[in-house]
Amino acid sequence: MGILDIKNISIRYDGQSVLSDFSLSVAKGEKILIKGRSGIGKSTLFRLIMGFSIPDSGTIILDNVPVNSDTIWNLRKRVAYVSQDTDIAEGKVTDLIDEIFSFKANNEVLDRDQLYSIIYGLSLNPDILNKDYSKLSGGEKQRIALMLALLSGKDIFLLDEVTAELDSGLKQKVVDMFLKKPEWTVLSISHDREWEQSATRVIDFSQETN
Amino acid sequence: MEAYDISLAGMFFAFLLLLIPILISYYLRLKLISSTAESIIRMSLQLAFVGVFLTFLFDLNNTLLNIAWVLVMVFVASHTVLKNAELRSKYILLPLSVSFIITNYPLLLYFNNFIIDLDNLFEARYFIPIAGMVLGNSLRANVVGIDNFCTEILRNENRYLFRLSMGAEKSEALVPYLRKSLRTALRPTIANMATIGIVFIPGMMTGQILAGASPIVAIEYQIAIMIAIYVATIMNVLLGVIVLIWNGFDEYGMFKKDMLKSE
Repeated sequence: MGILDIKNISIRYDGQSVLSDFSLSVAKGEKILIKGRSGIGKSTLFRLIMGFSIPDSGTIILDNVPVNSDTIWNLRKRVAYVSQDTDIAEGKVTDLIDEIFSFKANNEVLDRDQLYSIIYGLSLNPDILNKDYSKLSGGEKQRIALMLALLSGKDIFLLDEVTAELDSGLKQKVVDMFLKKPEWTVLSISHDREWEQSATRVIDFSQETN
Repeated sequence: MEAYDISLAGMFFAFLLLLIPILISYYLRLKLISSTAESIIRMSLQLAFVGVFLTFLFDLNNTLLNIAWVLVMVFVASHTVLKNAELRSKYILLPLSVSFIITNYPLLLYFNNFIIDLDNLFEARYFIPIAGMVLGNSLRANVVGIDNFCTEILRNENRYLFRLSMGAEKSEALVPYLRKSLRTALRPTIANMATIGIVFIPGMMTGQILAGASPIVAIEYQIAIMIAIYVATIMNVLLGVIVLIWNGFDEYGMFKKDMLKSE
C-alpha cells in the first residue's frame, strides 16, 4: 500500500470515457511526472483525488482510508493542489495570504520568515504582496499559487502545469524546490522537460490509456 | 381631514389617461398595446381583490388570520425570489420561507411594539401593510443577492475550489462569496436611503399625506419604515444565502448545478 492508492477508477463525461479502469499506487516521498496529450484525463485525475468530481466506479485511498464524502475534507487538509487555472483571487496578495491562513486547518501554519524566503526563491519582489492579484502576470499568479501551496505545511502535492508560464531558469528553480525534499510526495502534470529527472517516475497517459 | 374618495367617474378619468400610451404605441408601432392592456387588467383585478380582501381582514381584525395572511405573503415572496433568481424551488423554498419568517415576524413585532407603540401588535391596519412594505421592498435585494451568489460560484468556481484545496471548510471558502453578494444586494437600498425625499417622495409618505396625516407624522413613519426595510433586507439576504450554503451543496462541497433552471 502506498500513501495514495487509486484503484480501478472509471469516469465518463457526456457519454465519453475519460478514465477507464485506471490504477496508480504512489509511495510516500515518490515524485511522479504525468505526461500525455491534452484532453486525455490528466487534470481529471487530480480533480477526482480532490473530490471535485466523483468517479463512476473505483476507489481512492489516502493513507489506508478510502475517500468518501466524510473523509474528503481531511484529504483536502493534507493534499495541496495547484491547478492550471490561476484565477483564484481579486484584491491584494497579502489579503489573500491572510484569508488562506485564517482557515481553521491552517491556523498558526504561516511562517513569515519562510514566506520571504519563498518569495525570493521564486524570484519575486516582496512588493508583490501589496499588489492586486488580478493585475499580476500569468507567471506571477502561478508563483503566488505555488507559494501558498509551499507555505501550507502539507507534504502531498498535486501540481497541474504549474511551470508552464515560467521562463526556463525559473522552471528549474520550481522543480528543484519540489523535488529536493525526500519526504514530499509530488505528482506533477507537465510538458516541461525540467521535471524529468532521474528520481522521477514518469507516467505517460498516452500509452497508459486507450 | 379625510382623503377625498375617488368616484366612479374619477376612476373613468384615470383609465382615460391610458389613451396616451395606447396612441403612442399605435403610431410608433411599439407593439405594447396588448401587453399594456393585459397588465392594466391584471393590476385592476388583483387590486380589486386585495381591496375587498383587506376590507374583510380589517373588519374581522382577527390575530390568527392576520398572522396567517402575512405567512402567505412570506411564502409568495420566497417563491418570487427563487423564480426571479432562476432557481428550482424544490430544494430551498421551504427553508427560505422559514428563514423569512424568522427574520420578518420579530422585526414586525418590534416595529409595532417599540416604534409605533400599538396596543394590539397584530392590528391588521398596521401589521399587514407594514409587512407588505418590508417584504416587498426587500424582495429585489433578495433576488440580487441570491442570484449574485449563484452566478459568482458558477463563474469563479475555481476560486472556491482553490480555497477547498487549501484546507478550507465549506463555510470558510464561501465567506468571500457571501460578502460579495451581501454588498451587491444592499447597495441599491443604501443609495435609495441617501436620496429619499429629494429625488422622490416615497409612496408610503405620499399615501399618509393624502390620507390627511401631517407631513411630520408621514416623515416619522417613512424614516422608521426605511430603517426596517434596510434591516429586513440585510437579514433576509444573509439568511437566504446561508440557506443556499446549507442546501445548495452536496456532501463533497460541490455546488448543485441542477438547482439552476438553465442547467
